[in-house]
Parts: sequence; structure tokens; C-alpha cells
Amino acid sequence: MAIIETSELTKKFNDLVAVDEMTLSIDREIFGLLGPNGSGKTTTVKMLTTLLTPTSGEATVCGHSVTAQPSKVRDRISYVPQDMAVDMKLTGRENVIFFANLYGIPRPRETADEALAQMDLASRADDMVKTYSGGMRRRLELAQALVHDPEVLFLDEPTIGLDVAGRRKIWEHIISLKNGGMTVFVTTHYMDEADHACGRVGIIDKGKIVALDTPAALKSLHCHEIIAIRGEGEYKGTVVPDVTFIGKTGDELRFQAISGEDSGIPLLQALNESGMKIHSFVIRQPTLDDVFLSLIGEQEETMAFDHHRFRTMLRRRA
Amino acid sequence: MKRTFTYMERDLRRWIRGRINVITSLVMPAAWLIFVGLALPIRFTDNYLDFITPGILVLTMLGASLQGGALLMFDKILGFLQKFLAMPAPRESILFGKILAITLRGLIQTTVILVIALILGAHLLNPVFLLQTYLILFIFGVLLSSIMTTVALSLEDHDSYAAFNSMIAMPLFFTSSALMPYDQMPGWLAFLAHLNPVSYAIDAIRALQEGIFPATTIAGLLIGAVVVLSVCIITFRRATV
Repeated sequence: MAIIETSELTKKFNDLVAVDEMTLSIDREIFGLLGPNGSGKTTTVKMLTTLLTPTSGEATVCGHSVTAQPSKVRDRISYVPQDMAVDMKLTGRENVIFFANLYGIPRPRETADEALAQMDLASRADDMVKTYSGGMRRRLELAQALVHDPEVLFLDEPTIGLDVAGRRKIWEHIISLKNGGMTVFVTTHYMDEADHACGRVGIIDKGKIVALDTPAALKSLHCHEIIAIRGEGEYKGTVVPDVTFIGKTGDELRFQAISGEDSGIPLLQALNESGMKIHSFVIRQPTLDDVFLSLIGEQEETMAFDHHRFRTMLRRRA
Repeated sequence: MKRTFTYMERDLRRWIRGRINVITSLVMPAAWLIFVGLALPIRFTDNYLDFITPGILVLTMLGASLQGGALLMFDKILGFLQKFLAMPAPRESILFGKILAITLRGLIQTTVILVIALILGAHLLNPVFLLQTYLILFIFGVLLSSIMTTVALSLEDHDSYAAFNSMIAMPLFFTSSALMPYDQMPGWLAFLAHLNPVSYAIDAIRALQEGIFPATTIAGLLIGAVVVLSVCIITFRRATV
């Protein structure tokens, strides 16, 4: 049995279906759950960490059911939520020892020091957390989470709000945890990070998994080469053989083609003839962003951001 | 049980590190003691300071409890609670740790007020009396911090908590027997004072001053505390599932 198994896992808040019959199997890997805001990522994590009871369906973590044996699940996992919650008026070491005591670790001080050293915080362990940078605070949270040596680590948007160096460092740590045998379940908005670090990614939209595979497979399956064109004038739906229109962001039109080199020139000509004025033209390999956009679409373009739906979801899961 | 103390220790540490808060919350009860206890021209007793001190000790505990409810609310708003709930430690120990921390904080503050009262000339230096006073203040602290924690769990945000807090603080104090004995009050006030749980704690400490052990009043406070704590546990479980 895999470390995390879900079967038709569903969560409804009144008539809003936040997570819709999700079936997943995750085992000793970094699994990334990607999706737009309000798509059900956090609700999924909250069900798996026993903070929310599913409406229907089943989920097991390390062989224990999240509904029937929640305390056994909590013994095996650690959860680092999105909002950075560390005690500012305590030192880094005190923060970690506090968690070690809550987990009932036999030698809290030594174990805390090991976790701090693992997260490169040993030299700052006795400083108040209010003097820490955002990246250090996040690493301190990881140290707290690692102090009881969990089998599964749940991270909700671990790099949100951090600078580039901070993000890179967090991912290095996450990857080395996976290499040590840990299962890591992570949600993120940052496609490039998921592409780089995750073994497999699931793309979720309106509570449903719409794609599930390795980043490389998703890229080759859903997109060929991308032709990105910037220009003036209205796009009238012109296409040429072997080319499909996949989306528009601002003045950039995106097309995919089996071979960008072969289809690029005919496409440009067709667009010129339709009355558009082309400024620039790029052929590139698809990124996870392209996969994401081709599956989910650009929501702002197709429909207005649903404030009511979003707020109901935030309120319910708080 | 051990986890309860771990949670409690965290809150006490954070409180003591806050330095300024430790002092500011003592200013109000100390001001009552000095400016009202020493200065008010009172005819019904020769030593008003001795009379008002129990009231001010309970007021200090009341203030600590009213402030304390916000602790759990901030843990909820800032995301600490989510982390704690995903841990194997019994979830109720979060709640018990809070109530214990708030009560202990109040006891530390009342100790300072007690010392000030002694310096001002109150006659309270009797170990048995002090021990029993602490017992009463402890039960009263558990009662009120459970009420305030329940309120904090039921409200959405800190603003409405603060509003609730300032709404009940002064009325609770003024409708108690803190400032005058029942026979000096107008009838309607005496009626309210008899209903007010704050009066129970004050009356119990005054009985101790006269050498009587107020068994029924303490039993009443204890039953009240157990009932409110149970309501608080139920509210907490509902709020966290």
C-alpha cells in the first residue's frame, strides 16, 4: 500500500464542491498539487492532515484512515501550513524545543539542535525569531516539522513570499528530505519550482484532478513546441495545418505545433494576411506553465473571479 | 498532562518576553488600590484599604482573564492552531494549557498587587489566609478564562472580541461587591451584585479576612468553573473538527 492513498475523496461545503472524488496514490516522492486559487488544494491537504473531515470517500496515510484513526495519522506526519506561524518572541531553539516537547521526543534539546543544524540554522539558534528573514522562518518551521522524524511531510505553499535565493534553499532541503526516504506532499503556485523538484504533479481545477504525471510527461503529452507571437490587431481565429491556438495573455498569442520551425513561417504569413501586425516571434519548448494554462485556461479571460465562491471556501475551511 | 504544561510554558514565556505588557496590566489595579483605596472618604469602615483589597485582587484576575481569551484567538488567526491540531498531542491539552497559562498569569499579577497592598498598609500577612485566597483566585481564574476562551472561540475576529471585552469589563466590576458592602448599596445594585460571579470570589476572600472558611461559596465557584470548562471543551471540539 502506498504511503498516501485516497479514493473518491470528496469535501463539500454546503452546495460548493471543494474537492471532487479525488483518487490518488503517492509513495516516497515529492508530489506537487498545482491549481489556481480556490481549486481545492488546501482543502485536500487539510483532509489528509485530519484537520477537516471528508464528506465522502476515503483516505489513508501510512496505512491509517484519516477518519477512523486520526491520531495514528498525526503520529506519522508533519504539516506546515501556508501562513508562517513561529513565535517571534522566542528564540529559534526554543521554538523547536517546544515542538519536540509536544511530540514527546525523549531528548528534546539534542533533537532540536540536530533539526536546526539540518536546516542550517545552528548559528542563529539563540537569536529571537523576530530577527529572522522570511526564508529562515520557513526553514525554522521545517526544523519544527522534522523534529519527530515524520514519514510524510505536508507543505502548503512552502515558498510563497520568499525571495529567489530563499526559495531555492527551501527546495534543496525538500529534495534532500525526499532522498532520505520521506514522502513530501506539496502545494504550490510556482510551476517552474514544481517542474524542477516534483517527481510527479497533479493539476487540480474546481476540485478535480485534470492531469497527473511526471512534469516531463505532462509537457510532452499536452504541448508540443510553443510559438509565442506578439503583435497588434485582432486575432480572428486564423490557423494553419498542424498548428493549434492555445491562448492569449495580454498582446501575446500562443500556439502549439509539432514543429515550430516548420509551421512558424506559414503561421506568420497567415496572421499577416488576416490584418495583424507582428512585432516579435519566439519558438520555445513547453513549460509546465503552458501545460497548466492549456488545461485550466486563463480564468480571468473566460470568467470573472468568483469572490463569493472564494470567500465561502476560505470561511469554511478556516 | 505533560503537553498541557508545554503549551502553558510557551504562553508564559511569550508573556514575560513581552515585558511592557507585564507592567501595563498592573497599572490599573494598582491605581484603584492607591487612588480609591487610600483616598476615598468612606464612613462605613475605618480601614477601607483592607475592605477594597479583595475586590482589587479579584479585579486583577478579572483583567488577566479578559485579556487572556485573546491568546487562543490569535493562535487561531495566525495559524498556530492548525499546526497544533495536526500533532499527535491530545487536542484538549491546547485548551487546558491556555486556561492554565491565563490563570497563572493572573496569579502572578495578583501577587504583585498583594505586595503593593501590604506596602500601603493592608493587614493580610497570614499564611493560611494567603493560601486560601490563592485557591479562591485560582478557581475564579479558571472560571473566567474558560468563559473568555469560549467567547473567543465563538467570535470571528479580534475586533469583536475586544468590543465584547470592553463591554463587560467595567459593568462586571461595578456591579460586584468590590467597592462597598451589600447593605450600603441601593436595592437594585445589591440585587445585581448577588448575581455577579465576581462578587462570589470577593465575598469569599472577605469571609477569609474575618476568619470564616466560605465552603459553600467556594463550592459554588468550583461548580461554576466545571460547568463553564465543559461548555468550553465542547465549543473547542466543535470549532476544531
